[in-house]
Amino acid sequence: MQCEDARPRLDAYVDDELTEAERAGLRDHLAGCADCGPEAAALQRLRDEIRRTVPAYRAPEIVRSQIRFTLRREAAAMGAPGAFRAPGWLAYAASILLAVAVGSGGTFLALGERQDDRVATEVIDSHLRSLLGTHLTDVASSDQHTVKPWFAGRSDVSPPVVDLSADGFPLVGGRLDVIGGKPVPALVYKRRQHVISVYVLPAGKVDLGETLTRRGYNLRHWDDGDLGFWAVTDAGPSELADFEHLFRAATRG
Amino acid sequence: MAWIAERRRRSRFESVVLPHLDAGYALARWLTRNDADAADVVQEACLRAFRYFDSYREGDAKSWLLKIVRRSCYDWLERNRPSDLVPLETADAASSGTPLPSTVDTEQLLQSRSELRRLDRLIEELPPPLREALVLRELQELDYRQIAEVTGVPIGTVMSRLHRARSALRRAWDGKECR
Repeated sequence: MQCEDARPRLDAYVDDELTEAERAGLRDHLAGCADCGPEAAALQRLRDEIRRTVPAYRAPEIVRSQIRFTLRREAAAMGAPGAFRAPGWLAYAASILLAVAVGSGGTFLALGERQDDRVATEVIDSHLRSLLGTHLTDVASSDQHTVKPWFAGRSDVSPPVVDLSADGFPLVGGRLDVIGGKPVPALVYKRRQHVISVYVLPAGKVDLGETLTRRGYNLRHWDDGDLGFWAVTDAGPSELADFEHLFRAATRG
Repeated sequence: MAWIAERRRRSRFESVVLPHLDAGYALARWLTRNDADAADVVQEACLRAFRYFDSYREGDAKSWLLKIVRRSCYDWLERNRPSDLVPLETADAASSGTPLPSTVDTEQLLQSRSELRRLDRLIEELPPPLREALVLRELQELDYRQIAEVTGVPIGTVMSRLHRARSALRRAWDGKECR
């Protein structure tokens, strides 16, 4: 075999993709050729070096449990009407919190490079926490005139509150969460079995563009006047977009 | 009852496809280049895979999942980071397997950086078509036929992409000359 026949086959040689006959012919050539022999050895070294030094990424446990949860919800949605759903998100929320606790947040700290990312992460964490225990609301009421005054004096932001029951997003109440070290009002809505939390902060210079999906939760942000709104839910992105539209229209009117 | 069938389908999916989740995550991680996005994409891909599960026939579940993960990655990149998707020179059309003159600026690009760079960073800087071929071969240990299946190109193209990826890496990594 000549060099010009050997060269194009070197990659296939180290990849073990040659027939036995081709392989034997090439091996003979490599043994005697001062150019091709080292070339093949260099390819082999590169491979060894890649396998030795490059990280072997594995799916984090939280991603695994998230996927199992999503599948369970999907299967339930395709199979039975509603039967598995509520236990589904509760179990999921629990698994997330556990994984966050176990993993001490290491993976998620990586999210927090940018400031909006940090807020997004805190908002989702906070929403998740509210789903877990008994702290879905501090003030449970579908009456906007009960919910709004409750926040007075408890935070330095007074959120606009509207009930959107007529549009399929009933107001459930409000609660006070801590975002960025400060108490922040959160409005709680329902969409069928899903919970939507709306956090109201002073407006920032944040533009997430469209819906952001993190860990299976959808997040939208918009500014209105001097207030910034962060809405998070496990309902679908289009439902969340509808919600934003309705909420903005109603609070403006 | 419908929900029993769905439950059965789900548990079959979990036992056939989910064992390859690490491979899927790794591919997504290499294509999106960060953990948070890889997690999102791989989750979306698994949901997609579950919906298409009826189209899966007995056989190579790993390639089947990787193909869907890859598609989800490209969809995601198109939406979120279109600048990552620089078109690779169409020289790939020469699927004879002959090494091609390097067209893309990849090699120059890589060479201009420090030679002491870590290999994983250098791999991340390869254009996605070269990067995925290399990752599937070296880290997932797929053979040419499987890589062709996952990436949807002929085997000759797989060979030339691997060659180009390695040439670029070697020039950047050890500064050695190679054709």
